[in-house]
Amino acid sequence: MSSAALPAASRMLFLEEYLRPTLFIPELKSKRKDPALEELVAQVAAAQLTRHPDRVLEAVRRRESMGSTGLGKGIAVPHARSTLVKQRTVVVARSKKGVDYDAPDGKPAQLLFLLVAPPLERDPVYLNLMAEIVGAVRLARTRQRLLDAADFKTFRRILVEATRD
Amino acid sequence: MTEAMTQPIDILIQLQDLDCLIRDLRDPEMASQQQRLGFALEDIQELERSRELLAGQVENERLLQIYERMSRRFVRVIVPVEGRVCTGCRMSLPTSDPTRQADSATCDICENCGRILYRR
Repeated sequence: MSSAALPAASRMLFLEEYLRPTLFIPELKSKRKDPALEELVAQVAAAQLTRHPDRVLEAVRRRESMGSTGLGKGIAVPHARSTLVKQRTVVVARSKKGVDYDAPDGKPAQLLFLLVAPPLERDPVYLNLMAEIVGAVRLARTRQRLLDAADFKTFRRILVEATRD
Repeated sequence: MTEAMTQPIDILIQLQDLDCLIRDLRDPEMASQQQRLGFALEDIQELERSRELLAGQVENERLLQIYERMSRRFVRVIVPVEGRVCTGCRMSLPTSDPTRQADSATCDICENCGRILYRR
C-alpha cells in the first residue's frame, strides 16, 4: 500500500458521512476474494441501495480484472462505478482471519472497504473517498484498533479520527 | 435479490458501466492518482475486447446507435426516471406515460436531452 495518499490539506473530508451501521460487516464469512466481494455487494442490496446486486458485482469484478484492489498490509479497497447503485456507497468489512485477496505483499485482507458509485459527469468525491480510506488506514496501530473495535460506533470513531490525522 | 431487466436496457447499462471503467483508466489524472494510492492497473485492451462483445449483444441496432452517439456527449446516457422526471436533465417528461415499461422493442428517450430512460 502506498503512503502517498493525497495530502490532507488538499482534500475535503467525505468518508464520515458514508459510514453507516447498515453498511458494516463486523466479520466476513468468506475467506476467498470472490465470495467476499459477493458478501460486500449483498450488503449494498440489503441496505436497499441497489436492486441489482449481480450487475453491481459484475462491475466490481471487471475493475478487479484490471488489477487487484488489494493494497497490502491487510487492506483492500474494491471499487466500481455502477449505474444500478442509487448513490455513492461505502461498505466496511472486517475479517480477523483474513481474505486471500491477491495483494502485492501476499498478506490476506483484514479490512475491506467497498466503494461503489453511480456514473456522474463530474465526480471528484469518488477519488477523494478512495484517498481518504487509504490515508486513514496507513498506520499499523490504526488498523489494529479498527480490528479490535467492539462495535460499529467505536470502529466509526477510530476511522473518522484517522481521516483527520 | 436481483430483479430482471429487459434485454436492451440490461446490456446497455453493462456497456455504460464498462465505458465508465475504460474512461477512468484512460484518464491520465485518474489513473495516476489511483496508482499513487497503490492500486494496480493493467492494460485495458482486454476491456476493449469485452466492450466489443457486449455491444454486439444489443439486438436493437438503433438503440445502440443512440447510445454510442450520446456517449460522446454524456457520461450518463442511460438514466433512471424518477416519477416523471429524467434524472439526466431533471426535466419532466411531457408525453411519456409513467406507467409504461421499456421493453425489448421500445425504450423511452428523453425528449429534452435525448438520454435513454429506464425505470428502477
